[in-house]
Amino acid sequence: MAEVERTVEDRLREEYFTLRPEIRRVADRLEAEIRYHLLPISGGLQGHERLAVKCRVKSCESALEKLRRHQEERAFQRNRPEIYTLTSLNDLAGVRVLAFPQSRLAEIDQLLREELRGWTADPVEDDGELQALKYYGYCQASDKIRGEYQVVSMLIGLFWEVEHSAIYKPDARLSGIAGHRGMRERTRDVVKALRAFEEQFEALARQD
Amino acid sequence: MKTLDTKQNILDDAGFAYSIDRMAYFNRKSKKIFSVEYVEDHDEDDLERAIREDTGGEEWKFYFNSGEPPESVRREIEASLGRG
Repeated sequence: MAEVERTVEDRLREEYFTLRPEIRRVADRLEAEIRYHLLPISGGLQGHERLAVKCRVKSCESALEKLRRHQEERAFQRNRPEIYTLTSLNDLAGVRVLAFPQSRLAEIDQLLREELRGWTADPVEDDGELQALKYYGYCQASDKIRGEYQVVSMLIGLFWEVEHSAIYKPDARLSGIAGHRGMRERTRDVVKALRAFEEQFEALARQD
Repeated sequence: MKTLDTKQNILDDAGFAYSIDRMAYFNRKSKKIFSVEYVEDHDEDDLERAIREDTGGEEWKFYFNSGEPPESVRREIEASLGRG
């Protein structure tokens, strides 16, 4: 009986589940390190201030979809499956640091940059406007799987979470909607409104 | 903000639809496809020039920053865009 030909996606799924324990270790290690490094800040927050550290391992289908979208053609070369590997992704293991108000972001960013030296900056920007500070690199848990961390305003980060879980997560392919210019503009409107809300809140909290 | 609106308007006015799966703007009539990266990295004049460009309309013309896709990928994209 002829062997059934495995697709690029089949190979990548196999790779994912082989890597899965290592991805988990990177995520756990990175989360623990970041929580530890942030203790001087998290221990001294004022009553209205918030700091949250969230960690996630990218799901198999999200990882495949991300790799497919990484190519400008959004398609795998079926005759060259060997050129694709999930280890080329920076965010299989990710940590997001959410802070409120946003005046805490610079302090958090500086502290983590000092502690995680050698990590590569890859800021999240839209039309030249900075939305989140993002870095990727290797931690002690693996020399194969890169981790990623983001430092972002809490309201914007929570908006991204809601947007992701409500709209994109049920069908990873829908994430392509985010590339539409009109959709990007609407998203930017939300981010701008959340930022203005935080600035107003912060100004009033300072007066108190 | 202005740039974003203008490019989207140019594409809308020229009858380009957006493919969520391909993350690209395409027009079945003129058989042209622009990746979001291409639209992002080229100004309005380039975009309008590309839309006006006479490509014969026989085969799909790909406007990608990375150039023409490999043949197998090209066939897959053409097959998916040819539907509908």
